[in-house]
Amino acid sequence: MKIVVPFKSVRDPNDATVAGAAAASAAKSVINPFDEIAIEEALRIRERGDAAEVVAVTIGAPAVDEQIRAALAMGVDRAIRIDDPRALDPYAVARLLRAVVDKEMPHVLIMGKQAVDDDSNQVGQMLAALLRWPQATFVSKIELLDNKTRARCTRETDGGLEVVAVELPAIITTDLRLNEPRYVSLPGLMKARRRPIEVLTSNELGVAVRPLTTLLSIASPPKRAAGTRVDSVEELIAKLRQEAKVL
Amino acid sequence: MTHAVLSKLFWTDKRLTGDREINAMDFAWSDQQRELLDAVGHFASQQLNYSMIENDRDSVFNHDAWKKCGAFGIQGLLVPAQYGGLGTDPLTAVAALERLAYSCRDNGLLFSINAHMWTAITPLVYSGSEAQKKKYLPGLCGGTLIGGNAMSEPNSGSDAFSLATTAVKKGSKYILNGSKIFVTNGPIADVLVVFATLDKARGPNAISAFLLEKGSPGMNVARKLEKMGLRTSPMAEIFFEDCEVPEENLLGNEGTGASQFSWAMTWERGCILASAVGSMQRSLERCVRYAKERRQFGQPIGKFQLVASKIVDMKLRVESARHMLYHCAWLRGQGKSAYLEAAMTKLHISDCWIKCCEDAIQIHGGYGYMTEYELERELRDAIGSRLYSGTSEMQRNIIASLLL
Repeated sequence: MKIVVPFKSVRDPNDATVAGAAAASAAKSVINPFDEIAIEEALRIRERGDAAEVVAVTIGAPAVDEQIRAALAMGVDRAIRIDDPRALDPYAVARLLRAVVDKEMPHVLIMGKQAVDDDSNQVGQMLAALLRWPQATFVSKIELLDNKTRARCTRETDGGLEVVAVELPAIITTDLRLNEPRYVSLPGLMKARRRPIEVLTSNELGVAVRPLTTLLSIASPPKRAAGTRVDSVEELIAKLRQEAKVL
Repeated sequence: MTHAVLSKLFWTDKRLTGDREINAMDFAWSDQQRELLDAVGHFASQQLNYSMIENDRDSVFNHDAWKKCGAFGIQGLLVPAQYGGLGTDPLTAVAALERLAYSCRDNGLLFSINAHMWTAITPLVYSGSEAQKKKYLPGLCGGTLIGGNAMSEPNSGSDAFSLATTAVKKGSKYILNGSKIFVTNGPIADVLVVFATLDKARGPNAISAFLLEKGSPGMNVARKLEKMGLRTSPMAEIFFEDCEVPEENLLGNEGTGASQFSWAMTWERGCILASAVGSMQRSLERCVRYAKERRQFGQPIGKFQLVASKIVDMKLRVESARHMLYHCAWLRGQGKSAYLEAAMTKLHISDCWIKCCEDAIQIHGGYGYMTEYELERELRDAIGSRLYSGTSEMQRNIIASLLL
């Protein structure tokens, strides 16, 4: 069985450096945390003997090779980078990934439910539609059934836990509680430097990338106005009634 | 000299430096080094910071974090790959230890790791036999074994070579008698480098080093020592009563203990305070943040020149400490002597670290004095740095002896 894990490189959400860090000053990127969970799950399935190969795929400029090496250091067998420096919209990403799936023919594709930078939460679903594959999203548990022809997935929904069974091949998107990813070791990272990374272009994949959505602007939320101090309960109630209009 | 001639003089291992030669005045990290340092920071910030206050209060060593560091590759940074290490150059290694301390607030754990690296692993790499290296190094690198070093005795501290622990050869064994104090990692160590004399009358020339395994007959790890700071790094007093050591556990040759010790100490002095630089950088950033946020008299306290001046002092200390640390490590990487530089580095960084910790508390006012702010612990942890690996007075003696 082959598992493909697409991942996105994002700005490190834990990076809160002030006044110049120890030695690095440039913003640091990491594997999108939900995708890291997907990689971990694929590796665990392989380590249980249920998969023979785990292939990681990402899209980006050569700079994302650093995150690819992190994936290789975690233990993925092969890595593919689709060379495109642009910030692509979910539909473009899904179309590129469909081309990779057509080429790689995996039995299952596991990916994060969303990226922590734009929180789109669309690629997995769009890819399932493009491939006409079943999908299980927000998954917190995966069990392979019936000689690996089906997967029973536990989904975390607002109402509670929902259990669905999907025929393979299928798309599975991961939630936070699926597992805790391993950390890469320094020797693993050094070895990953010597591993090849397959580089593909959208031309080679036969995909003409045309965005359906365009990012117009990004703005911070408006600043909260300062609070006011009241001297008495009566004044508080009056303000809640007249100004806040909540009573 | 042409560039080609110059470059021959410099570090030639390209695995970390890429195609670029490291030369004296190039302060940039290679992509490979930066990637390694980022990985260290990411690992440490995610995996090592928990139960700090409780473990300090109760003097608990974080064994789990030790194992994680081993599996990640910290303990083996400088050890050649064939013995389970990473085989980095010294500059990359100290920068990695600095980044580890920047991202991990458990100074006791870091001290235990440093003691293990500089006083157990380094002598083993330097003077161990092939069999000894194969037996111990993979475990010491991988986090499954803990190492330590027993030199100081109740009556010999700075005057280390006046030690009184004796070793007598009997058949295929050495018999050790005496006692050692301030043994870092003593209560938890699986293997200790122990120094003893074969003949006290011959002074330093009779001092020899032995590898003692936990549970050696006649070795008694007597008591865990309570201390002011670095409380998560256990320390013990150890007694030897007719303690039997197989002859294959002699480290190096008979009588080479003093030179092994001096050699390892030069490494230790130059490198052990890499952690202090990381800790200072962390404190500085915290103080900058606080001075911008905390308002008194209608403005952020950073606007007051007396506070700003403290922050400038902290910045100067971190930068000067870092430059001395890197320069010293760079010299080692070139195979050059760093005897003077190591003593200066140790002396300077320990002073800087303690003063930075005091300033950090002062800038935070009453909050800085509170345990939950984790700044008072940092000061208690820092104070030991003027004592271990040779007191500040001994470093001054070394520097003066080389100048005068």
